[in-house]
Amino acid sequence: MKRVLLTGLCVLVMMSGAVDAGMDATATPRPLVDTYDSLADTILAAKKTEWNLVHSILGGTYSHAEGVLAQAVSKIEAGQDASAEVERVAALVAQLGNEGDASVAAVRKRLLEGGHHHNAAGEEQGIYDDGFVIVTRASKKALLDVSKRIAKLGKSATVDSLNAEWDKVKKEFGKMHAGTPMGH
Amino acid sequence: MLFGDKGGRRLFAVPVLVWLVACAPVPPEKRSSRGTSEFRFVDVAAEAGLTRVLWAGRPDKDHLLDSAGTGAGWLDYDRDGWLDVYLVNGWRLSGDEVLERGRNALYRNLGDGTFEDVTDRAGVDGGGLWGSGVAVADYDDDGWPDLLVTNFGPTRLYRNLGDGTFEDVAREVGIEAPDWNTGAAFFDADGDGDLDLYVAAYIEATIEQVLSTTPTLDWKGVDKVAFGPFGLTGASDRFFLRLDDGTFREATDEVGMRDRARGFGFGVRAADFDLDGDLDLYVANDSDANYLYRNDGDGTFTDTGLWSGAAFDVNGAAQAGMGVALGDVNRDLLPDLFVTNFAEDFSTLYVGEGDGFFRDASDGSGVGAATFVPLSWGTVMADLDNDGDHDIVIANGHIYPQVDRHPQFGMTYAQRNQLLENGGNGHFTEAGDRAGPGFEPALSSRGIAAADYDNDGDLDLLITALDEPPTLLRNDSVGGGWLTVEPRVPAGGGGVVGTRVVVTVGERRMSGDVSSGGSFLSVHDPRVHFGLGSAGRVDRVEVLWPDGSTSVETDVPGNRFLVVEKSP
Repeated sequence: MKRVLLTGLCVLVMMSGAVDAGMDATATPRPLVDTYDSLADTILAAKKTEWNLVHSILGGTYSHAEGVLAQAVSKIEAGQDASAEVERVAALVAQLGNEGDASVAAVRKRLLEGGHHHNAAGEEQGIYDDGFVIVTRASKKALLDVSKRIAKLGKSATVDSLNAEWDKVKKEFGKMHAGTPMGH
Repeated sequence: MLFGDKGGRRLFAVPVLVWLVACAPVPPEKRSSRGTSEFRFVDVAAEAGLTRVLWAGRPDKDHLLDSAGTGAGWLDYDRDGWLDVYLVNGWRLSGDEVLERGRNALYRNLGDGTFEDVTDRAGVDGGGLWGSGVAVADYDDDGWPDLLVTNFGPTRLYRNLGDGTFEDVAREVGIEAPDWNTGAAFFDADGDGDLDLYVAAYIEATIEQVLSTTPTLDWKGVDKVAFGPFGLTGASDRFFLRLDDGTFREATDEVGMRDRARGFGFGVRAADFDLDGDLDLYVANDSDANYLYRNDGDGTFTDTGLWSGAAFDVNGAAQAGMGVALGDVNRDLLPDLFVTNFAEDFSTLYVGEGDGFFRDASDGSGVGAATFVPLSWGTVMADLDNDGDHDIVIANGHIYPQVDRHPQFGMTYAQRNQLLENGGNGHFTEAGDRAGPGFEPALSSRGIAAADYDNDGDLDLLITALDEPPTLLRNDSVGGGWLTVEPRVPAGGGGVVGTRVVVTVGERRMSGDVSSGGSFLSVHDPRVHFGLGSAGRVDRVEVLWPDGSTSVETDVPGNRFLVVEKSP
């Protein structure tokens, strides 16, 4: 911020000379525009970085859940108790809806205050950029509902019942990747 | 599932001493002739002698600490059979100047409808700290209820010496934990027969920041109000494990309760939410997902909030959780949760589905529409008219006095408290406007604690409000019969926190439990109260002790206090 103010001050000093040299007196000083343009690159790059990071979190969580699901299915097919694995799948699906676990939520809380956020909480408050919301409110609710149903299956989970719920997770996950924001 | 059998715990009947304490028969004018409820609550605080003003910062509530308010608790500290009052106090400020460090108050119930201020004699004035909440339990299992007071600063643990005095042992036992601590609950987390402790915390702040702050948050584009909690760093909740030597050790991480979201914690309630025989814990977080820590039976916990249905509202959105109440609104014996929230958002009724799962039933129950406008805090789910179902009481009040300058938004700083009457089917209707003069005033209320302070068989309400003395709403309602069960465990027996009582009256079954803290920073009556409607007797009373054993009494006359004492 200090740097921006200093730049502005320098530019104001230079402006008097510019007017004398015949420049358009109403023009925004070029150095300020250049600085802003440079800042825009940084802002947009940060957005891209965040978008990619959130997708990485989601992708990692999805893969993790998929792996645990496979373990649960194996156990069920072997006639073993798979309730712990089923609950882990439920927890991971809930984390998909929540864009990560509680520690990610703590970061998200800070971003939301900055008016810069991608997910359902920002969407709820109207603080988001079109095209950047990855887990929408609708997706979040759908994933939380699925996670609860999976958790409820518990010891009574069957391969069919688990796969039926997982199909819904796949569908929601597919939606998250259906579009990318402009420039990606 | 009524009885749990998790972790190899076996249920067995234990020898008990049982006695009935007959109260004066319920006078005819307190019985409904129409079979319908006739609520009537009257504020008797001033005539009862409860006059301590509870300060809350500056008039404009420049910082969130100015507007968070304080809690209240009921305990029978002298074991004379009459419940006494404990009030937590804040500070009074003008700008950055401290005008008064409010003193907490202990009022002894004299049994004639009045109270005596015994704060100084008891030594429990809070020591000049800016107080938050209170929890009550016999933490050292010596037979006397102790007081835990959370503060903006180190926690106090007032050990009851049994002679009318207390000593602060918080530092000695290792639970001071200076922070902005809020809700707290003692409960036996690891099933070893002693009480562990959970303390929620709100935001990280220093008193210098509090004193120097000014309102900077834009409110609806028309005014500046206190900043936060978004943009402020949440303070971490803590869990303390009781050790054999009588001290506590912080074990937050090792038991799985690390506050990774740095949630803005307020209301805390321990109970057996999944009815598997051990105590779980619920934390209402302001603007974050609420936590539901399921006890895994081995001393560790799993936060099941996100996938159990108890973390968010029906839309999957985090709300501004303030207070929490436990009850059973549809008499299916499954615990239900009620969580109060911010203005322009409904308070949430989570109906239990069994095995620790919940669904948001706010909309269909009538609770959602009734609670959307006010900003809500303390809460009670209890049978206020003794008709056999749990009603809901809510303490309301905004945090921004500035809202009064903008009537176009339909909000006020001072708000009326609410009484939602259960129609017997889990559907609620507003009854505050026909509940007598006690529900008429508008204040900025915060904590609420229910108890039968006059031992007449109905639950009265103690309510705190910002910069006001407390309100004591004596329940003069015309209702049905009642039974109040007082579980007792002799000193050294592990205490009664977590004890669950189930009564059967004809086809109806109802349950309640003993808790050490809940609502908003407050503590209710340690006895378990049941309304009986028109029934004069209770067919069966089951007391499920914290150690998994059960005591059963049958054919118990109503309108009595039933003391059930577990043999050592």
